[in-house]
Formats: sequence, C-alpha cells, structure tokens
Amino acid sequence: MNAIGRWIESRTGVVAWLGRCRERRVGGRACLRRSLPCLVLFAFAVQVITGIFLLMRYCPSSQTAWESVYHLQYEIQGGWLLRAVHHTCGQAVLVLVGLWLLGMILRGTYRAPREFVYWSVLLLGLVTLALLLTGDLLAWDENSRSATLTRVGFLQSLPGVGEPLFRLAAAGAEFGNLTLAQFTALHAVVLAGAFGLLLGLRWWFARRANEPNRDRKGAEAAGAPYWPNQTLVNVVGCLILLAVVFGCALGHGVDAPQRGVALGPPADPAGFYDAARPEWAFLGLYGFSKLDVFAGSTVVPIFVIPGTLVLLFLLVPFVGQLRLGRFPLGHVLNVVLVLVLLAGDVGLSLAVIAHDRADEQHQRAIRQSRQAAERITVLIDHHGGIPPAGALTLLQDDPKTQGPILFQRYCATCHNHAGKSPDDIQAEEPSAPNLFAYGSRRWLAGLLDPERIDEADYFGNTAFRRGPMVDFIKETFSEMEPEDREDRERIVAALSAEAKLLAQAALDRQDAATIAQGRELITDYCTDCHQFGGKGKLGTAPELTGWASRQWMIGMISNPADPRYYGKKNDRMQAYAETEDEAKNLLTNREIELLVDWLRGEWYEPVVRSP
Amino acid sequence: MQNASSDPKKPACGCCGAESSGPSRRGFLAKTAAVVFGAVALAGPVAVGLFSFLSPLRRTKQAGTFCRVATLDALPADGTPRKFPVIADRTDAWTLYKNVPVGSVFLRLVAPGQVQALSVICPHAGCFVGFDAAAGDFVCPCHAARFDLDGRRTDKDSKSPRDMDALAGVEIRGTEIWVHYEKFRTGIAEKVVQS
Repeated sequence: MNAIGRWIESRTGVVAWLGRCRERRVGGRACLRRSLPCLVLFAFAVQVITGIFLLMRYCPSSQTAWESVYHLQYEIQGGWLLRAVHHTCGQAVLVLVGLWLLGMILRGTYRAPREFVYWSVLLLGLVTLALLLTGDLLAWDENSRSATLTRVGFLQSLPGVGEPLFRLAAAGAEFGNLTLAQFTALHAVVLAGAFGLLLGLRWWFARRANEPNRDRKGAEAAGAPYWPNQTLVNVVGCLILLAVVFGCALGHGVDAPQRGVALGPPADPAGFYDAARPEWAFLGLYGFSKLDVFAGSTVVPIFVIPGTLVLLFLLVPFVGQLRLGRFPLGHVLNVVLVLVLLAGDVGLSLAVIAHDRADEQHQRAIRQSRQAAERITVLIDHHGGIPPAGALTLLQDDPKTQGPILFQRYCATCHNHAGKSPDDIQAEEPSAPNLFAYGSRRWLAGLLDPERIDEADYFGNTAFRRGPMVDFIKETFSEMEPEDREDRERIVAALSAEAKLLAQAALDRQDAATIAQGRELITDYCTDCHQFGGKGKLGTAPELTGWASRQWMIGMISNPADPRYYGKKNDRMQAYAETEDEAKNLLTNREIELLVDWLRGEWYEPVVRSP
Repeated sequence: MQNASSDPKKPACGCCGAESSGPSRRGFLAKTAAVVFGAVALAGPVAVGLFSFLSPLRRTKQAGTFCRVATLDALPADGTPRKFPVIADRTDAWTLYKNVPVGSVFLRLVAPGQVQALSVICPHAGCFVGFDAAAGDFVCPCHAARFDLDGRRTDKDSKSPRDMDALAGVEIRGTEIWVHYEKFRTGIAEKVVQS
C-alpha cells in the first residue's frame, strides 16, 4: 500500500500540495466575510451539478423546449425541485458576486497589487448577468421568450452593426429553434466555462498578490489557520447558503401546480406577452430605459450609459490611486460611484414594481397568463400527452383560451361580454347586446323583460331599440297578470331549451313539461314575425327553431344578413364567413366554432372528484 | 497523511489547527465538522439531480395494446407469412404520437380463420428478421439465425437464445385481424415482456 501511495505522490504531488494548503493562514480571525470566494465557488458548483442534470432532460427547440421543461416540472419526480434549486441558486450567485464586488470597492481592496483580482470579480459579475439572461430564455414560456426578445432586440437599435449583431445573437432573423440551441450552448458551455475560468484566474491573481505578505514573517502568521478554522466557517457558510436556496425553492410548497419556479404557458411566436418583464437583476435597467429623458432613444440608456458605467468600474483601481494631499479622493469617488449606482438600481427597480402593481392592464395580463398556464396542464392531461407539433397547438384549439381572444379582437368593438367577473370584456362603445350567458334562461329573461329589452345589455344601443320587437314586448308584458308571468317563464324555458346548452341540459330535462307548454306559446305569440317549428316565415326576424344552438350561432356569425337571421334588417353586424372559401373570410370555420363554444361555455373541464 | 504536530508555536504545519491548549481535540473536531459539513453541502444538489436522473427506473411503460393490423383477405391462402406494420399511439417522454407505426409483425394463415402472429424482432440482438421466400423460412440479417415458419430455430448452433416470439393475443373480429402487440427483452432464453 505504502509503495503505491508513494508512487502516486511522486507522480502527482497531491499530498505535498494539500500540506502546503493547510499551512495557509488568513490575515486575521476566521470569519464569514472571508468565505465569499468559497461561497461563490460552492454556488457555482451547485449550478454545475444541477445544470448538468437539467441538460440531460432538456431539448432546445421551438416544439420541445417548453415541453421538456413541462415534463421535468410535472412528470419527472423531483424534477421541479431540480429546476427550482438551479433557478434560485443562480440568483444567489449574482447576489454573492455583487456583495463581493461591493465589499472590494468599499474596503478598497481593489488597490495595488490586487487590480487583477478586482477585474476578475467584476467580469464574474458581468458573466453572471449574461448567464441569467441566457438561462431565462431556455424555459421558452410566454415571459421568458418575450422578455428576452426585447432585451436582445435592443441590439437592432445600434447604428450600422445592429442588424447583423441581432442576427448573430438570435442565430437567425427571428427567435426560434436555432436561438434556443445557441442560447443553450452559450449558457451551459461558453458562459459557465468563462465563469469557472474567471474563478480560477481570480484564485491565481489573489495568490500572486498575497505572496509578498507570505514572506513577511509574522504578518500572516498572526492570523488564524485556513485549515481547519477558516475552512469550517466556509463550510458552515455553504450550508447556510444551501438552506436558503432550498428554502426559497420549497417556498411555494411541494404540491402541484405552484411548486418550485412557475412555468408560464408555452411561448407563442405569433404573440407577445403584455406583462413581459426581465428578471429582477435587469429591472433597474428596464426602469432606467423607460425614464422620460430617454424618450425616443434606446441606444443611450441601454448601451451608452451602461457601457460607460462598466468602463468606470474597470477604471476603479486607477481612479482609486488619486489623492488630494492625504485625502483619498479616488477611493471616495469609487465608493460614491458604487453607492449611487446601487441606490439608483434599487430605486428604479422598486419604481417599476410599484408601477406594475398599480397597472390594471399589467395585472390582467399576468392573471390571464396564470390561467393559461393552469389550462395547458389540464389540456395535456386530457389529450394524454403533447402533440408532436407542440403544446401551443393545444391552447390554439381550446375554446376556453381562444374564445376571449377572438371575442376581444372581432366582437368587442360592439358587444360586451360582462357578467360582473374580473375577466369581463367591455366594448369601447357598446352598441350591441351583451353576450354574456347568451342563450341561457337568464339572458332570455332579460330580453323578454319590458323594463330591460331597450337597455344597453339588449337592444338599447341598436337599430332595434324602437323596433317592433321592443314594442311587442312592452305591450305584451308591461302590465301582466300572474298567469301571463308564468307564460313568459314557459316561453323563456322553451326557447332557451332550443339552444341545447350543456350547462342547462339537466334543467331542460327536468322541465320537459313546461318546455312543451312553452313551445305552444312560442307558436302562438312569436310566429307572426319569427319562424318556429315550421310555422311563420323567414326574412322578417331571426328563426327561432334551434335558436342559439351551436349550429344557429355559427350561422349567425357567418352571415347575420342571411334570411334565416336578420336578413335585410341586419344592423351593422359583419359577416365573418360569408363565402365557402375560408381564405376569403374574416374568420376560419374553426375560429367561429371556438368562439361559439366559448360563448356557450362548452369546453373541456376535468371532473373534480370530491374528497 | 502528514504527521500531526502539536506545537502551537510552529504553525508551519497547520495540521493541528488550533492555538489553544488541548489543541488536538478541538482541531480534530473542527476538521471532522468541516469535512462532514462540506460533504453534506455538496450532497444536497447531487441528491436532487440524481433523483431526476434515476427517474427512468421508476417509470414503467404501459404493456402492449390491441391493434387492428390487417384483414383476413390480405393473407395468402397458402400460408406464406406476410409482414404488416402495427399502427398505434406511441408516447415518447412528453410527446404523444397518435396512430403511428410502432412496430411490425409477421402474420400467417395457419388454417382457415386461424392466424399466427410472430414478432419481427429477433430475440438475439433485436434486428428485424426477414422472410426468405426462396428458402421458405425466416432469416435474421445480422447474425444469420434461421427460423422455420412457426418461428422455431432451425440451425443447431443458432445465435438466437430462443425461438421467434409469437404474439399470444390474436383475435379475428369479423374479417379483421387484431393483435395484442408487445415487445420482448432480447438476448435471454426466456420470453419476457419489455416493460
């Protein structure tokens, strides 16, 4: 055994090297402040370890990036924790490197002969920011794509070199498959490698800078030995750091779906997330670029001023040598620089947060994003997996998701969809009926109410406000006997049953007798103008046979001026699918189906099992 | 290991660590704690990572499914085997492929209305066995193992550890042939369903 040991030692010198390491002493008492380099090394090690395991489960491409992260977050046991630890510890690296740099500047330890030590730490900070930026994109969810696209997109504003630089950064004219592959390589290999290299360089430069001390007998010898005193402090520091990281990672509990780091809905290359914001580290810069003084300019706040600041930080060791007599003017300037920058960054970040909290639009976008993120997990479960074309296709074919978007875009110019919920859609100038719960008994009861038919929720803002329907309702139901009231309820039940709403199916079955009576009444009351069950003509008013049923609504949206609907009396409503050729229509047939299914409240919902 | 020195005035050897009296015990405690805590700190992220890394061991794929493979009139009446693709849903990690080829089987009319199904996968190394029409038997392209029409090994020193795998679940529904498609572990003498 000894022979083998000696052979290994003669070839490697490990034991002798360890022995020399143990002789090291620190320049004072063992304390946590001296642990910072070790803590950064430890946090970096955590990032490398968790990063490698993450890389084993990650597939960078438009159709698989989000999907593989989803798989990790929801399917692989413990995958969410791995993600959360990597994410949290990444933030910790930035905080630690920031504290390290701050400490060096405040204590003046950037001065000769430690200039290179300082520059290594400064570069570590910049590389950490680049790691956060590249890592943010990889999840490829709504926010990560939109926020990164904005940040990288600023390159385009640089005169002359902007366009080629952006193409190089995005590996193409747009964000896509190659952007993800390139950012993965940059994040996991290039930047991570640079971080490790800089840590090594810092260690080397620090050793060189400390050499004179080592020769001065007694100066260092007075300090505590590195092993085991300072080492123990370091290790305890690492444990505290690890506890903090795990504490944050487990902060949202261990139960789906909020556990760990939130994963938004998959990125939509055709869309943009309204509440897109960079990670906290960039929030100050974001707030800075939004300041009124920079109106119309991105080059100055994004490149010129931050670039100048980086230059000033690079010059810190030289500025630090300036003295005014005995007054250390340079050092004071450096301290002022870092404190002003820190205060400005914190202030601007807080201002952005406060502004966003108060911004109703922003909060709404966040709420919708959370709903979409929850919805996509439901859709994937329902489908039994993710289609090869990606998870986005599930959201694109989901009435619950697409309905409000289509309604907002095509219908909310005139119609409200308002039922006193936070997700209400208000038209800018309501000039057509409120379509919330359209087809239901509740909606119809309002239409047939003489008090309400000419209100804004029904015909109040339309050409029918003083039309024959309003007159008829007012005449017929204004001074009702109790039995008239019952008749009206029967009509409401019968006509609403024509809609065949799934939500009312049980009610419709239960009230079959009332509905049969109601159908008789409709035939008596309504067929002077409307066609119902073969009686009455088309062309004067909408057909009541199958009123508000899925097919009826699809036909109505396709062409309201069809004789089956309003015919020539159609009041301003556009035909969204007038022709057989979908390419010539405003909406595709599928889009109309999605809209109708959403209006009817008919989409997949998981059965909630009561415990 | 270097020899420990207990002389506090001689810090050239830092092994003992502490300067106080009773140095060796405090030094020893501190060293042990440093090593143990250090190992614990690194074990945290490693354990979390390993947990996901080992996830393939925890997950088991669902066993085979019944698939409609062919119709009776697609099979030659003389009992010649014919290869058919098996179309079914396939899950690859998160992706669900609907109605895609998941494998192939040899179908053969043994008697009127009676069909034999053999997996095309060679039990030796997983190559796809082919039908040699001239010789009238199956032959594996990789290591030349030969099987008769019933899938039995015909060469004495066959590379294949077992006969071709017959698929037990074959049902005739009207004129349709439905097969319970499964894959089996290769390279062993027993026929074991891959899970």
